[in-house]
Amino acid sequence: MKQTKSEVENQEYLIPENKGFRIDIFEKIPIIKQIVKSRYYQFTLTFIGLFVFFIVILGGFIGTPIGNRNIAIVLIWIFWWFLLISILVPFLGRFWCSMCPLPFFGDFFQRLSLIKVRVGKTGYLRNKIYGLNKKWPKALNNIWIPNFTFLTLCSFSAVLITRPVVSSIVLGGMLLVATFFGLVFNLRTFCRHVCPVSGFIGLYSKASMLELRSKDKIVCEKCTEKGCFRGNEKGWGCPWSEYMGKMDRNNNCGLCMECVKTCPNDNIALNIRPFSIERNIKGLDESWKAFIDVGTSHAYSMIYLGASGKLKDWVNAAESGDWVGFFTYVVALWLFSLVVVPGIFYLLSLMIRKLSNTKTISVKEIFIAYSYILIPLGLMAWIAFSIPLILINGSYVISIFSDPFGWGWDLFGTANFHWQPFIPDYIGFIQIALLLIGLGYAIHNGFFIGQQLFNSAKAAFRGLIPIAVFSTMIVIAFILFFLG
Amino acid sequence: MKLKLVAIVTILTLVGGMVGLGINYFSVKKHVRHDFLIKARQYSYDPAEIKVDYNDTVHIKLIAMDVVHGFYLENYDIDAQIFPNDKTLKVRRPSEGYNWKDASEIVFVANQKGKFRYRCSHTCGNMHPFMQGVLIVKPNNLLYIGIGMVIGFLIGMLAIFYVRIYNAKF
Repeated sequence: MKQTKSEVENQEYLIPENKGFRIDIFEKIPIIKQIVKSRYYQFTLTFIGLFVFFIVILGGFIGTPIGNRNIAIVLIWIFWWFLLISILVPFLGRFWCSMCPLPFFGDFFQRLSLIKVRVGKTGYLRNKIYGLNKKWPKALNNIWIPNFTFLTLCSFSAVLITRPVVSSIVLGGMLLVATFFGLVFNLRTFCRHVCPVSGFIGLYSKASMLELRSKDKIVCEKCTEKGCFRGNEKGWGCPWSEYMGKMDRNNNCGLCMECVKTCPNDNIALNIRPFSIERNIKGLDESWKAFIDVGTSHAYSMIYLGASGKLKDWVNAAESGDWVGFFTYVVALWLFSLVVVPGIFYLLSLMIRKLSNTKTISVKEIFIAYSYILIPLGLMAWIAFSIPLILINGSYVISIFSDPFGWGWDLFGTANFHWQPFIPDYIGFIQIALLLIGLGYAIHNGFFIGQQLFNSAKAAFRGLIPIAVFSTMIVIAFILFFLG
Repeated sequence: MKLKLVAIVTILTLVGGMVGLGINYFSVKKHVRHDFLIKARQYSYDPAEIKVDYNDTVHIKLIAMDVVHGFYLENYDIDAQIFPNDKTLKVRRPSEGYNWKDASEIVFVANQKGKFRYRCSHTCGNMHPFMQGVLIVKPNNLLYIGIGMVIGFLIGMLAIFYVRIYNAKF
């Protein structure tokens, strides 16, 4: 399409963008590379994860039904959640996926091996893989299913995060489903296309300060073996079906480190990079994931950090019996996350298109590209939500270590540690700081997304105004929840 | 240049915070006594939110409507236990350990400004960790400072890009 006069005028100036530093951890600390190259690396991590998972599941079934006295609730929904969202995802991306116990049995049935690599031929792979190895339907080659499974879990969160037995049934059920997917479909289909937590981690790991990448893409182009993708005698082909020569996103890198073992050219780097530097959103499914995460973080803040008894009765209908309220809550949550937030974003996209004077860039392209700003913002909002959970209820974790099932044990002498909020007077300050950081990254990225789309700093600036105001309104809404 | 731009954002963020604080300052009123009757039930307090002004005296009577509940007021060193069908409370100062005393009400001077949560400190059921109410002691400075800072930050960030694009002098 021919560019308009205003579009041509727009192309007069671009602000040079600093692409940010990369520090290769493998180069700086070679022992880390040696560790991850060991065939025992991932097995050890996953085995630890599986052991804790087993205790957690057991706790839900045989421990006390009082949530804050049972490891199934306290370890998962207070400690693990905080650790995942506040430390692992922002600093280490999908590191959790490398030790997640859910795909353990699926992987085992596919490989019939815990440590040893099987050389052979299975499709494009140079490894012997067992199971049915069915291909996942192309129409579902996205994260729409994780979007809906995540929203479903959020809808039933009040029972999930307060009833140990429910928590164990759901987690155990996920283990069974992941195993079934491992038996029927190829590689990590469950992790890529079904797991509700994986969709969440995958999207936010785009903002993470860690990435696994090829050092030199040209080396990958010239490589005929493609060991990272197809596997070889040193390791399995990428379980997430990623080819390092083209991988430029964290979304589907489970950091299992198989490619570090299989690369014949020693061309893999584990880089530390600046926060929120990876802006490439690929489709509407990922955009909607960002909307859902912002919508649910608002809802969770109101329910679990708010004082409304009515709202708690609604989400807790299994106990209060208020099923009309529960239905109202679920409809409101789904509508807000799937329709209202995206609807506002669509209107903003129209406004951006108008303000930027572009005719060649479609509203859909603008909509998808700008939805990235909700990733740093949403991540910081989730951390701001999680901070009071750990600081207020973290003392339960201390007592759980000594009495995981609520049976009156006192293994380490901490079982009677009384509930005690930790620095509640500083929580508000921490939340404001986190939200300001999220807003800063949202506005910064909003500008450079516009500049990349419109190839013009002036057009990007005009497009930035509505998106920056919208981000600010989101932050103010959170501040009102937290402090008002 | 870069340093100047960072300075702009920082100054505007702080100015925004100060403006928020200034606006809020004028909402301070004369000190009075407030009496509240708070009913605790699984998993909320009624009223869920109480508002007083800085240095007002607050008297709170508590009733447990169903099971034993707690009342832990952040920042005010107050923890209480309430029993169903019993108007007498067990009250303690957490900083002094578990030295429970009987009392008919909780009395304190609201000498800290802001939003404080009162939480159930006695396990009362499934949703116990989330049972909370809110005490607002006006002026709620942090709220207005926070909003002011966010608006100042927005203006500062936009100013940075404006200056860089249009090469404006400042």
